[in-house]
Amino acid sequence: MTNSKYLVPLLALLMLTMFPLVQFFSNQNYIIHLLLYAFFYIIMTSSWNIIGGYGGFISIGHNAFLCVGAYVAGYAAVRYGISPFYLIGLSGLVAGIFGFIVGLITLRVKGPSFIISSIALIMIMRIVFDHWDLVGGASGITLPFNSLPVQWSKLPHYYSFLFLALAAIYLNWYVRHSKFGLALRAVSHDETRSAVAGINVKMIKVTAFALSAFLIGSAGAVWADYLTYIRPNMFLVILIAANIVLMVILGGKGTVTGPIVGTVIFILFNEIILTFFGATELNILLTGLLLVITLLYFPDGIVGSLKNKNILPKFLDWG
Amino acid sequence: MLSIKNVTKRFSGIVAVNDCSFDVEEGTICSLIGPNGAGKSTLFNCVSRVYSIDSGNIFLNNKRIDNLATHKIANLGVGRSFQLTRVLDELSVTENLVLHTASGFNFHLLKRAVTKDDEVKAEQVMEFLGISHLRHSSMKELSYGQKKLLDLGSVLMADPSFILLDEPAAGVNPRLLETILDRISLLKDQGKTILLVEHNMEMVMGISDKVIVMAAGSIIAEGKPSEIQSNKEVLEVYLTG
Repeated sequence: MTNSKYLVPLLALLMLTMFPLVQFFSNQNYIIHLLLYAFFYIIMTSSWNIIGGYGGFISIGHNAFLCVGAYVAGYAAVRYGISPFYLIGLSGLVAGIFGFIVGLITLRVKGPSFIISSIALIMIMRIVFDHWDLVGGASGITLPFNSLPVQWSKLPHYYSFLFLALAAIYLNWYVRHSKFGLALRAVSHDETRSAVAGINVKMIKVTAFALSAFLIGSAGAVWADYLTYIRPNMFLVILIAANIVLMVILGGKGTVTGPIVGTVIFILFNEIILTFFGATELNILLTGLLLVITLLYFPDGIVGSLKNKNILPKFLDWG
Repeated sequence: MLSIKNVTKRFSGIVAVNDCSFDVEEGTICSLIGPNGAGKSTLFNCVSRVYSIDSGNIFLNNKRIDNLATHKIANLGVGRSFQLTRVLDELSVTENLVLHTASGFNFHLLKRAVTKDDEVKAEQVMEFLGISHLRHSSMKELSYGQKKLLDLGSVLMADPSFILLDEPAAGVNPRLLETILDRISLLKDQGKTILLVEHNMEMVMGISDKVIVMAAGSIIAEGKPSEIQSNKEVLEVYLTG
């Protein structure tokens, strides 16, 4: 670890940690929301990268685990009065166990078959949750608002998401540089070769899937409290998973910093388009164009392509 | 050490391996030869459980292995290379060599991908194979022959007691072939048991303690190299194909 490599990220972290102090001087709730939203997606993209980037399983259904985490926390908040912040771990655990079970079934197949199974998961869960009276069915659950003044009401979510984003980035880095990650990367490219080397292919894949689900589920708890209202059609739509996949591919899947770069660029671009063109269909068109143009010049994503050409800045080169 | 008893493997209507039985004694080099399509690589795949057998049994040191998962057989000390080199281009040279250290499923997987001990052992294996200079090379820079040696190296890193080598001489130049032969002999001197599939007769007859001949899925001859070289049935199979 050289000093210059981590200086920029550490400075950025310091600034992000201190930023909410501007609320003492002026109301920057919108920017706090944007940052918080970026942290939220960094959690999801970094988590997805574990199974999608290193494992090679392109899941278009990972928001299923976000839904599980959100509903665990949301239900407990309404039924037992427990703040979702205390349930981050439990939400993650339930999502992780659910991910483990789903992984045992769906990870038997690869490629297009796996993608279809991940879409099927979303569709099945949508039907189940829409008709599940215990969690409010299609009408969903309304969570209590926090009692903080408007100026400070976002801060618990801001710092929770920041913490979870750091955890997700660290886990992403750890997996990449561990023997577990080595096994996962080998499995993604040649399962037979990996098995012959003694790697327990099934357990590696399923554990990676569960780990990814755990992090996203944890974020779901905080997201539920932030939204204060959760219902199936807010989570169980393919667009959320598609956004995750796009962000990771844009930044560079299979890298540590790729998901972060992709998320920041995607959200920033979206904001610029909204500012100049409003919330129109042009937004979708231009986002698609962004992806196409980026992949033309950066076929392995921005971080991946720069790394391949040996011109990746040190502060983005974490593996 | 390895005992194959009445093993049969079918692919739909085709009998790729037909009721094959033979033993490989510990500390020997046994070669499996035969024309293309004889079932040699299929038999290899049955031993390492890349394919499940349809009937018969396979024993390693008197322990039945035909009902074990591929990774469990590998963890019993069976290493194998593939006919077409299967190094992983997406991993580094060292990572390819230390792949076996990510085997199994327990807390050792939390360790660093390539530890200092791994690096030391990888260096030893690379020296043994004469490829130390490739240590910092990108996989894209490696020639086919170098990848072949790397593949062999990754098998040796696991220190297996039983090694399956599937056409280690295929596609390599004569000088590299000498290196490979030399290393295989050294492995035998170290007490390893080797089952070898090869088409290079000079190599097979020069290095083997026992030769088994397959044709059309069945074993047609078994014996010392000198016996096989004068076996009429073997000559007929190779001349008529």
